[in-house]
Amino acid sequence: MLLGLFWALLAGSLVGLQNIYNSKVNEHANSWATTTLVLGLGFLTSFLFGLIFEGANMFRLEHMQMWFWFSGIIGVGVVVCMVNGIKLLGPTYAVSIVMTSQLIFALLWDSLGWFGLQQVPFTWKQLVGVLVIVAGIFVFKFGGLRQPSKSVAQGK
Amino acid sequence: MRGLIFAFLAGAFITLQGVANSRISQDIGTWQAAAITQMTGFVTALLILMFVRESKWRQFKQVKPLYLTGGALAAIIIFGNVTAIQQTGVTFTISALLIAQLGLTFLVDINGWFGVVKQKMKLPQFIGIVMMIAGVIILRL
Repeated sequence: MLLGLFWALLAGSLVGLQNIYNSKVNEHANSWATTTLVLGLGFLTSFLFGLIFEGANMFRLEHMQMWFWFSGIIGVGVVVCMVNGIKLLGPTYAVSIVMTSQLIFALLWDSLGWFGLQQVPFTWKQLVGVLVIVAGIFVFKFGGLRQPSKSVAQGK
Repeated sequence: MRGLIFAFLAGAFITLQGVANSRISQDIGTWQAAAITQMTGFVTALLILMFVRESKWRQFKQVKPLYLTGGALAAIIIFGNVTAIQQTGVTFTISALLIAQLGLTFLVDINGWFGVVKQKMKLPQFIGIVMMIAGVIILRL
């Protein structure tokens, strides 16, 4: 559990950092150019790490299933929805909803154990935990309204 | 309303991405999964970029080189995300991940790093993070 916690915290910090970097790129390039660059670099780095840690195993893909080749399209869906959500709602509101939705679907997937992942049975305690986290997100994002949500009015 | 639907779907896709990567990792390995999803994502994004044709909006030269390297972080992000999901489940992983993500945003804001407008340390953001940590503890009680 501690190992999982460590990796989740590291991944989360890097997501925060990456969001800052990407938004700087987005100031000068459109979102598709930014996405292409980000995914291209991500591929190269992952491939390189794979070669370092796994060697020739990187080329052994006999257990590939057809749909694995299309999973990357999910990332494109993320970009389309994020860009439009932020355009219509403003960053503060949009990101709060996105994070809430991430948690709702996480709980759903854990409970259903779809895709052959280990099932984590649903309990009311988990729902309460998620609701407290969601409340925390909204307090963080809207508390004292540190960011002026200027684009909210324009979207409608 | 449309904005809400987009934001809601974005969250669903982000979680789905983590789940799909974990599933693919079981069969072919984690680095392989990270490489393949980003390669196919890259090709799709490139195709769309060619259709969109807004060439004026590709001025990477005006961006500080450091900021262009954000994508490289994704290798570790995906590896960490997959490992955490396999060890602790999706809900716990996403919860901890969001705490770290907002915690980092908070640190950057109050210190004014990366040329971000410096913000004063505010109580609500601190309370928000404490509430999120409390929520994660409830998950694991």
